[in-house]
Amino acid sequence: MTPLLSFLNVSKRCSDGGREVLVLDRVSLEIDAGASVGVYGARRSGKSTLLRLAAGIALADSGIVRFDGRDMAKMTAGERGRLLRGAIAFMSAEDWRANPGESVVDHVATALGSEGLTMREARRRALGILDEVGVGAAGAQEVATSLSLTERMRVMLARALARKPRLLVLDEPAQMPNLGDRDRFYALLRSAARERGMALLVASEEMAALQGVGVLMSVADGELCSTEEQGSVVRLPGLGLARAERSG
Amino acid sequence: MASVSSEKTRWMRGPSTPLRGALLGLLLERPGHGGDLANRLAARLGETWRVDTNDVYRLLEQLEKTGLAVSRDEPKRSNNRRTHLVYHPTDETSQALTLWMETLLPREAVRLGLQAKLSVARQQDAPRLLIALRAYERECLVLAHFVSPNDGEARSWAALCMDCTREAVYAQLQTEVDWAARTRQRINEFLARSQ
Repeated sequence: MTPLLSFLNVSKRCSDGGREVLVLDRVSLEIDAGASVGVYGARRSGKSTLLRLAAGIALADSGIVRFDGRDMAKMTAGERGRLLRGAIAFMSAEDWRANPGESVVDHVATALGSEGLTMREARRRALGILDEVGVGAAGAQEVATSLSLTERMRVMLARALARKPRLLVLDEPAQMPNLGDRDRFYALLRSAARERGMALLVASEEMAALQGVGVLMSVADGELCSTEEQGSVVRLPGLGLARAERSG
Repeated sequence: MASVSSEKTRWMRGPSTPLRGALLGLLLERPGHGGDLANRLAARLGETWRVDTNDVYRLLEQLEKTGLAVSRDEPKRSNNRRTHLVYHPTDETSQALTLWMETLLPREAVRLGLQAKLSVARQQDAPRLLIALRAYERECLVLAHFVSPNDGEARSWAALCMDCTREAVYAQLQTEVDWAARTRQRINEFLARSQ
C-alpha cells in the first residue's frame, strides 16, 4: 500500500543570521491514511520545518517528500497550492487571518470557495461543520476577529475540515491558556480525524498536547526519534500503518 | 547495543552498577585510595547522588574480586611510615568501561546510569553515549505514549487527581526527552568542532 505521506532521506537547511543550520538531517518517515502522528520538539527543534515540508509549503533541499505517491518537488507551485486547498489542510495558531467584520460562518464558508458552491450552500455546510466542532448557531454569527484563542482553534479546525482533507497538519496548536480547553480541543481533533479516516500530523512543544496519538515522535538536532521500532512497520489498531525512522 | 557474554557483564548487576561503572572511569583517570575515590565520585556526580564512603570501599572490593581493580598497600603522602590501600585499574578495566558505556541493562535506573556514564566518559565513548541517549529518549517517548489520554474536563475529584498525575508524568518525561536531546546536540557540536 502506498503511504499517504512519505519522507525519504529528507534534509533541510535554514539560515540563522549569517550561518546555515541543518534543521533536518536525512529524515525518513511514512504515514498511512488514517494514522495519527504527534511530533514533540522544543523551540527551534525543526518540527515546524518538518510540518511545512509535509504540507508542501516548503521544499526539501535533498531527499524526497511524496504525498499519495507523488513527489512534491516535481509538482508545480500551482499544483501544490491546490493540494493545500484540498487534500492537505495546514493549521497553525499563528495563521489566523480573519477579515475585519467577517462573521465566523462566513470565515469558514469562504474556505469552500474553490468548490463551486453558492455562498448560501457554503454557509449551510459551514454551519454544519461549526456545529460539529462545538460552535453553535449563535457563535457562528459572531465577528471572527473577536474570538478567543480557544474559539479560534475550533473555527480553524472547522475551516480545515470543511475542505474534507485526507491529511491535517497542525503546527503548535498548544499555547491555550486553559488546560481543560486544550484537552477538549485535542479530544475533538482525534475524534474528527477518526470519524473521517483523516491522517493527523500534529506538532507541539508540549508533550501532553500530543496525548492519544497513534505514533509519538520527537525531533531534535536534525533527527527523528519515534515510538515505533526503527525500520519496522507496526499496525495501529484502526489507524492503518505509520512508520518513522531516520536512515543513513 | 553490543551483545556480550554474561561473564563480562556480571559486575553490572544490581542497583550500584552506575557507581561501580563511574569508579572504573575514575580509576582509569588516575589510581586512588577509597576516600579519594569517594570524594572524586561525589564531586563528579554532584548533589543528585549521596555517595557514602563505606559504600565506595565495598564497591571497590567487589571490583577487585571481579578483576577490574587491584589494590596495593602504598605509603601515605602525609606520613611515609603509614600505608593505605590504593586502587589501580587492571588490563581489563578499560574494556569493561567501554562495555558499560554501550550496554543498556534491563531494569537499570537508566537516567542515573546515563548520568554516571557521562560523568566519566572518554571522548572515544561519544558514539556509545549518543546511542544510549537516543535509546533513552525513545524509552521516554514510549512511556509518554502509554499514558492514557485525557478526553476532556474532569467531572469528579478522582478524575481531577488522575488528570494532575497524568500532567506530572508528561512534564517529567518532557524534561527527560529535552535533556537527552540537548545532551546529544552538545556532544555532536563538540565533535564537529574538534574535527
